[in-house]
Amino acid sequence: MPSPLDLVDLPFLRDAVIELVLLAISGSLLGAWIVLRRLAFFSHAVGSATFPGLVVADASGVSPTLAGLTVGLGYAGGVQRVGRAGRDAGEATALLLVAALAGGVVLASDVFESGAVVDRLLFGTLLGLGAADLALAAAVAALAAGATLALGRTWAAVTFDPDGAAALGVPAGRADLLLLALVAAAAVAAIPAVGALLVTAIYVLPAAVARLVARTISELVVLALVVALAEGLVGLYLAYWLDVPPGPPVAALGAVTFAAVAAAARLAARR
Amino acid sequence: MSIAVRAVGVAAGYGGEPVLRDVSFEAGEGRSVCVLGPNGGGKTTLLRLLIGELRPAAGVLEVSGRPAYVAQTDRTRLDFPVAALDVATMGTLARGRWWLPAGRADRAAARAALGRVGLAAEAGTRFGELSGGQRQRALLARALVQDARVLLLDEPLSGVDPSSAALIADVFEDLRREGRTLLVASHDVESARRFDLVLCLHGRQIAFGRPADVLDGPTLKETYGSELIVLGGGGPAAVTVQHHEHAHGEERD
Repeated sequence: MPSPLDLVDLPFLRDAVIELVLLAISGSLLGAWIVLRRLAFFSHAVGSATFPGLVVADASGVSPTLAGLTVGLGYAGGVQRVGRAGRDAGEATALLLVAALAGGVVLASDVFESGAVVDRLLFGTLLGLGAADLALAAAVAALAAGATLALGRTWAAVTFDPDGAAALGVPAGRADLLLLALVAAAAVAAIPAVGALLVTAIYVLPAAVARLVARTISELVVLALVVALAEGLVGLYLAYWLDVPPGPPVAALGAVTFAAVAAAARLAARR
Repeated sequence: MSIAVRAVGVAAGYGGEPVLRDVSFEAGEGRSVCVLGPNGGGKTTLLRLLIGELRPAAGVLEVSGRPAYVAQTDRTRLDFPVAALDVATMGTLARGRWWLPAGRADRAAARAALGRVGLAAEAGTRFGELSGGQRQRALLARALVQDARVLLLDEPLSGVDPSSAALIADVFEDLRREGRTLLVASHDVESARRFDLVLCLHGRQIAFGRPADVLDGPTLKETYGSELIVLGGGGPAAVTVQHHEHAHGEERD
């Protein structure tokens, strides 16, 4: 069993710790709005949607971050347009999710024969997290903090009562688009650490756990941050110990924590 | 007295045939108007036209300033983690600075509005834990914070306890005295008698005028059709309406 101090002593693990702390900040801030706005499916889909783009980028030498952001932001814009047209975006989201995964697998296995790259794209890696990855995670965390401070009450008003918010003259469409774009950028930022398939481990599960007990939006953000930090750091240590990508242990911890807190909350409600 | 709301030949719908047509009326400052009709009669559609969420398919609609709107409480998220004070503070978004956090003055205005609707002590209570009447009053406080000249309220007394109903009626009276114009959608014939004017809708405008002129048997029968039940001698004072509850999340009235 390796020493937990390796997380700060070994340079590649130290970078991973910094990455996960930054992702926990954006994960708790944006995660609060993701669960309140019921965007969990969208955040999962937008991460997966980037998969074929990342495969092509990897094979062609294009920046994977740029490719991921292009696909993610384009997808966010499409979902916002569908929503504004009054249609249910769920079906379009599901369709794209399936198409993206299938397309990505075909591209990776038959066209570019990407091999081991696929695992890294889907489930993240402890190795090779570079300065650009950390910079993107820091930028997204700063944007999430600034946007929550500035637009938090607008997002709250639109989510709480869409009709009432429209009557207040709030630009609900633009605020929505900004939130979706931020979630898309955040999903791309999380891919190097946890992979395209498991971005929800960072952006949904901690906030979903916090949602079970939080009574205010501020409580929701703080609790989600605590849960995200704990899951991220423990998951990272488990990944190092078990020699697996970090995404799966972080996601598994999130699911177990959610089940435990949900059961405890149910028991408390019965008393 | 200047005109606060004016409609001339207005029609509106949701993409297909108009669900509301031939609406023409005027309401001056300080007047209260009950928009009366059955479910599906077009009451909510008219309110959505007035807040600008829908565009008229025909006709002209004019409103003095940006109206405040209190939707039916079942359109709000009861599981949303906000307190009554947060809800009232949302009204300050109408001042235009939607990209800034709420300031001290915003919260002070929200507290004052909560006090006006008798919810000062419940400012910190979660919206979903308030009673139906208290929730309606919290939404009314949000509208008061907007400081609008025209207030639109969709079934504000539906499912409300008597004490809340009395408080809300008092606030309406105060607002009228301040020269504000109220348009209140209701299915309740009896409550309509307390308004200055009544607008009867059933897919189109059936009648508009003072309660004494409008709330007669034939007009109500045309407005409500088979939903109308005439009690006793059948006079205008003895009518009631079978009310079918709105399905939760229903989009249209």
